[in-house]
Order: sequence, then C-alpha cells, then structure tokens
Amino acid sequence: MSEPVAVPACAIPGTPLANATAGIMACVHCGFCLQACPTYLALGDENDSPRGRIFLMRSLAEGDLALDDPSVHTHIDRCLGCRACETACPSGVPYGALLEATRATLAQVVKPPLRARLILALFARRGLMRAVVAAARALRATGIPRLLARLPGDLGFAFAMLASSASPLSRARYRSRGTGARGSVSLLRGCVMEGLFAAANRATERTLVANDYTMVPAPNQHCCGALHAHAGDLEGARTLARRNIAAFEAAGAELVVTNAAGCGALLKEYGHLLADDDAWSARAAAFSARARDVSELLAAAGPRVGAPISYRVTYDAPCHLQHAQRVHAEPLVVLDAIPGLERVALVDSDQCCGSAGIYNLLEPALSAAVLAPKIAHIEVTGATLVVTGNPGCLMQIGAALCRAGVPARTVHPVELLDASYAAAARSGR
Amino acid sequence: MALHTETPSRASGPQPEQAQDRRGALIQTEALASLLAAIVGERGVLARPSELSAYSSDGLPGYRLRPRLAVFPHTTQQLVDVVRLLARKQCPFVARGAGTGLSAGALARGDAVVVGLNRLNRIISIDPLNRLAVVEPGAVNVTLSRAAGAYGLHYAPDPSSQTACTIGGNVAENSGGPHCLKYGVTLNHVVALKVILPSGEITTLGNADGEAEGYDLLGAFVGSEGCFGIALEVTVRLTPNPQGVRTLLADFTSIDAGARATSAIIAAGILPAALEMMDGPTIRAVEASIYAAGYPADASAVLLIELDGMDEGLDADVQRVEAHCLAAGARTVRIAANEEERTRLWQGRKKAFGAMGRIAPDLVVQDAVIPRTRLPDVLREIAAIAELRQIQVCNVFHAGDGNLHPNIGYDSRNPDESRRVGLAMRDIMQACIDAGGTITGEHGVGLDKLEYMPKIFSPESLAAQCALRDAFDPERRANPGKVVPVHSCREWVGA
Repeated sequence: MSEPVAVPACAIPGTPLANATAGIMACVHCGFCLQACPTYLALGDENDSPRGRIFLMRSLAEGDLALDDPSVHTHIDRCLGCRACETACPSGVPYGALLEATRATLAQVVKPPLRARLILALFARRGLMRAVVAAARALRATGIPRLLARLPGDLGFAFAMLASSASPLSRARYRSRGTGARGSVSLLRGCVMEGLFAAANRATERTLVANDYTMVPAPNQHCCGALHAHAGDLEGARTLARRNIAAFEAAGAELVVTNAAGCGALLKEYGHLLADDDAWSARAAAFSARARDVSELLAAAGPRVGAPISYRVTYDAPCHLQHAQRVHAEPLVVLDAIPGLERVALVDSDQCCGSAGIYNLLEPALSAAVLAPKIAHIEVTGATLVVTGNPGCLMQIGAALCRAGVPARTVHPVELLDASYAAAARSGR
Repeated sequence: MALHTETPSRASGPQPEQAQDRRGALIQTEALASLLAAIVGERGVLARPSELSAYSSDGLPGYRLRPRLAVFPHTTQQLVDVVRLLARKQCPFVARGAGTGLSAGALARGDAVVVGLNRLNRIISIDPLNRLAVVEPGAVNVTLSRAAGAYGLHYAPDPSSQTACTIGGNVAENSGGPHCLKYGVTLNHVVALKVILPSGEITTLGNADGEAEGYDLLGAFVGSEGCFGIALEVTVRLTPNPQGVRTLLADFTSIDAGARATSAIIAAGILPAALEMMDGPTIRAVEASIYAAGYPADASAVLLIELDGMDEGLDADVQRVEAHCLAAGARTVRIAANEEERTRLWQGRKKAFGAMGRIAPDLVVQDAVIPRTRLPDVLREIAAIAELRQIQVCNVFHAGDGNLHPNIGYDSRNPDESRRVGLAMRDIMQACIDAGGTITGEHGVGLDKLEYMPKIFSPESLAAQCALRDAFDPERRANPGKVVPVHSCREWVGA
C-alpha cells in the first residue's frame, strides 16, 4: 500500500461541518451510492454524486478547498437532498446531516440566493404565509392556473403546480366515528398542506378517527423548518422547532402526526437538530420519538377496510418517507385497505421526482431532468391516479403530468382511503 | 494487428490545432482542455483542481493522484475523437468507469487525462435467441442483468459492486464475483470487443460467433487493466436463469470449521454456484448496516452457499451440502425460504466491503488467491499476522475458489497504525505466495500490487508482459505506470 495520506486537523473548527467529520470518515469510497443518486445519473459527474460531494466536504474540513470555492457551492447546491444514497450506503454515512452541516457552513461565507432567502423568510412568518397561500387558493379557484399551465418556462410550471394542488377526488362527506382507544394524536397541519391540500388534512383527521385515534388540536404550531434546515439555515430551523415542541407539548397528545413526508422527516430529527441545546435537547428527543407519518399510524391500526372505489393507481414513494424516514411498506398497507383499486407497479418509484422542497424553484433545469424519467415511467403504467404522500411531490409530478398531457392526476394516499370510507358511509356499511 | 481495422478518420474531431502542433509537442493543459471541450462540450471536461479531486481516488481510497484533466464523452464518436486527440498530443490517459476498483487502477498521475466512460452507458442490443448483448463500456453491470431478465437471461459475472461498476471496468479487470465459481469470470462471458487502441486505431477482437481468428487477442485484452486501449463496444454472452436456486447459510463457531466444510463440499464433487465465507467481525459490520441479513451475530464464520440448476436433483445436493457442513461442525444450516430472504442473504454479502466503514475511517482490502486446500492454514496465518501487527482483519471472500479478501480497517490519521497496516498487508501477501498462491484474484494489479509482481514473475516473464503491452500501446500512454513495474520494462525489455 502507499504511504498513508496525512490528514491535518480540521481546517474549519467551530463550523457545523467540523462537528460532522465523523460522518464524513464513515465513507469508504465504495461507490455503491452512485447509481442511487439522481443528479449523478442525470449529469454523470462524480462531483454530483454522494461520494464526490463527501469528498468535497472532506476537502473543506481538511483545508484543501476554501469555503468560497465556487465549484464546491455548485455541486453542493445541486444536491436534491433526497437521501437515496443513505438507503444504499452500507457504512451508514448520515448524508442528510452532512449536507445540512455543509450548507450551513457554506452559508456563513456565501449567502444562499435571494429567491431562497425570500421563500424561507415567508415560511418562517406564519401570518404572511397564510395570506400568500390564501391568495394562491383564491387564484386556483378561478381556474386560471389550469388555463395557463401550458405556458412555457418556470411561470407555466408554477401555474401547473398550483392547478395540480387541487384534489382530483370529489369532496368526501361523512361522519367519521371510532373508539379513540388507540391514543391521542395532534396533526402538524403543515404550511402547504393546510394552505393548498386542506382536503388531505381533513381526510387525515377523519381516517385516523375511523381507525380509533383521538384527534387533539395543537393551535400554536408553526412551519416545521424542514426547508430552512435543508438550505443550511439551521438556526432558523431550530427556532421553528422550539416553537413546535412547545406547541405540541401544550396540546398534550401522545403522538404527533403529519401527512407530509418532508415535514415528518424533520420532526423525527428535531432531537438531532437541538442535540447541542441543553435547555431543549431532551424535549426535542422526546418530541421526535412521538412523531409519526400518518401511514404509520394507519398501518399500525390495521387499517379499517373501506368500500370499493375503482381507480387504476400507481404509488410513488416520497424520498423523505422512503429514504429519510425509512417508511416503505406502510403507505402500501393503507392502499391495501381500499378495495377496488387496480394497482400498477411504478418503475424506479424510489427515485426522486426532483421536487425536493424548493429545489425545483432554485435548480429548475436539473429538477426537470430528474423529473423526466419519472413522468415517462408513470405514463407506461396507464394509471389515472399517482399516489404519493408529500405536497412537493404531489405538485411537481402533478404539474409535469398536466403539462405533458398525460391523463393522470396526483393524490395523497389518505385522501384515497377517505374516499373509500365515504363510499362505505354512503352505502350504509 | 488485427482483422478489422479502421484508420483514424481525418474528418472527425477538431482540426484547427493541427498546424500549430504538428510536432506533437507537449501541450498546455488549458489548451488541451479547450480542445477536449470542442469535442465533448464544456460540461464534458473538468479542469479545476477542486473538481478533479473526486477523480483522485477510486474504491481504494488509500491512494490519491490528481489527474491533469477529466473528460466525459457522451457518444462513441466523441470517445474516438478524444482518444485520437490525445494520441496526436501524445498525452497519457486513464480510462475510468464507476471508480469502484480496488487496486487504484483508475487513478491518473498528474500528466494523464481521465477518460470517464460512465456516460457511455447504453445497452445497444440484446439478442435473446443467440443469448448475446452488445453494450457500451459504461453500462452498469446490474442494469444488463435487469434488461436481460425480461428474456429469462442474466449476465453471470456478478462482482460485489455490480450495482455500481461498469462492464468496461469489468473487462479491464477481468472481474469475478461470487457466482464465478461455477460460471467463470468476465473473460468467459465476453465474446467480442470493438476497441480503440491508444494510437486511435479501431479494431475488433474476437467475434460473436465464437470462431477462433488466429491468436486470442481478446483473451489478452480482457484483464489488461486499461493498458491496451479502451473498449468501445462489448459483446457478452448471456446465461439462462437456472430453473432452481437454493441458498444456504451455515454458521460456525470457528473459521477453521468453515474452511473444512468448504474443502469437503468441493472434494465431494459438488459444484455450487457460489460458496462464500464471512468471518465474525464482517458479520457484525453487516448486521449493523442497512443491509442486515440476519446472519447470526455470535458466529465466528458463516458460509453462504448457493446451488442452482435443474430442479431435479437440486434438493439432493442441498442435503449433501448440509450434511458436509454439519459434519464439519456447523451449528445450524438455514435454507432461504423465498426470493426475498435469498436477496437479503446476498445483499449482506455483497455490501460487506462497504459496511467496513463502520469499523474504522479508512479501509484497505487485499485480494489474493490460494489453493483451496490451504484455506485453514492461511486463514490461521492471517490471524497470527493481525495479532503480531496489532490490527483488525475482517475476512469476506470467495472460499469456493480460494480467493481471499482480507479487509483491514484503520485510521490514516494515525501514522503508526498506517505503518503497521502496510506491514501486515505485505506479510499477508507473502503468506499467500508462500502457500502457492498468487497476488490477485479479481481486483487487478493497478498500483496497489505493483510491488508484488516481481515476487511471482521472473524478470523474463515481466519483460514478456511489457512486450505484449508494447504491441498494443508502444508509447505506453494508456494507464501508464500500472500493472508491470516500470523498471522491469526498462531493464528487461531487451533481454
């Protein structure tokens, strides 16, 4: 073997990245992550692969590269943060945590783009955010976004996203009843979910009640902070995390549930996010231990079977459910409880759709390149409904289907279960 | 030099530089980068040191060499134009697929250009009737088997890195894999190669009909570690999926017992599709990973044994293998109940190398072959060396064909430990050679095994290898400094 590579002490002490070097050292460079990485597959450059990005992180930590090196920013910015590499990595490299630490470190030197800062500022301001989504909802109700969805460029895509956020199912009306014996649950309503996917939130509440959970409101909740954490604004994320922990503690329910995979992934990582905050670390860890995706709760309950509804459906796994939360089977268990569905398997359903939080707004070209094979695979299934449990994915895939003229819509799995329960109520079962 | 040749086309590739650079003088890196970009586009060339870092190591990260440039052709024609440009500029180059190799074979020293083949990843054709496929060099091993699966066929060589490694890289290293025990290595499955020689000449070696055409130059090219040229198209044989497969996991309280069972199975005339061994530390690393396969965590060794073939008689073989394992001292022998369990057992084995990152931040893996009957002795000797040098060795290897892979985890920031690991690697290699073995089974020589070549080859033999290389690459620009020690070529080339 060669002379050992001498590794100097950390060149950037005190930075978030410096605290994450153990994770970097876990990478043995085997390359098993390459084919799991959407940006490597799209670009064919190892600098845009997990192994290459970890190499860049290590070079930053060792001082071989400066924090303002433009190519480092390029390749770290281009990462979707889908964390598919984590479910491919035999060594258990905590890639998501490394990425957030790296972005936080780089942000100390070069500010994120203005567009990103504006979006994050909006999400951190509850009242403003509500006003904006209310305006978006009003716009959606006019039907104009659907008319303008085929406009070329980012603007057309944005209209298509808004149009595709409308539920494809008719509104479910039934009284949901259960014993409540499975315990009490508070819903994280979610900025985008409550704003644009309120139907999915109501469906979540009804289906959980029908499966014997008791819903407890948690009034003072905020944005979960996931977008902030992914963008490297760890302090912003921590502030929001503290508010949410307090709000849900005050609500007093046994569990916290979300139907947005991206939010859920961060809720489960509050413990990690606040690990160094003595006043909050224990509370954060306890909070994370209580956080669940709605599909986990429904799967644990059985769940109760509804009445037949006939759709040809295919399931696409949100990355933050599949890879970050490692929740694979539960959404399928939810679909199993719906008789009448014709299920078609989706090729590469565990690959990212390119939505990735606000990635599609910051890196539209690469996002579209990652999305293209997804839409092609969906078209082959002939499904009329694409089922996925995350608002970003619902809108990203929905918009692309709409613009490509594919006769399929996106829907949250819980909404489908709710429709099945509504059908059962109508038929008096 | 071969039957089908095309001379370098004057029409292809960029022309403007020819006048100024007739003499083939050394060209400035910046100028070379722009000439390459004229062929492959701006985004197909990496020139910044920060971006070349990712290409400064492969699957064996103890070595780092930063290349001069990296270029990524997207089409065969671009690849041809790139190689011809490099020939005109007399620039050395190193072909690289996925960079999963374990002998530092895909590293380029500072005067050489990395030619990345990963974007040339198309499966050009599959001919199910003749059981042949034609692929580009960057096609990923497992994608070929997936595509062939539609016809009940697969590509048999299955290196553990098959989810990432490329067929071109497999050709360069003559890669093996667990199932090579029964099905043979890459060489046994490649029937024809369309290659570009370092001079820019295109030629075809072998043919799809399998007829001999004079000397077996295909056999020379497969396993030449990128020193003879670059494959443009690889024609491989596809293998029908077996009618039946049985996968067994036998666990032992000593490595010795596992080794005895291995010998007994082969001596009984049974030829398993695969016969793999993992020792205790490896088992525990895998079980801690996302690929946890349910191996017994307290075992000192497990054997993963696969039998395949016609359903008829398969279960009788299973019973014989089970009996041999139990006779050698196996605690339990478990048979995978379904495809899911079989996949899990194999994933654990195939990802074991990657899982070693749990043990220590750095990792070296050795690759040596010994006569199978010497397995118990050599494994004992490796354990003694580990104790002497105060290092931890994890063994995960192809027991059925005596192909050892001692993995040594260490921390490169600790100079003393790094030194001891280096010494242990040499001791282990010497022990394998002394046992009548050789220095590489499937990882290639690359840079890592260079120093061992004179231990197993005579000067005359090394000179003969240099002469063969000169027939393909007289300027020695393709993967320079690899495989055969340079001094051998200098000293012995005239002998």
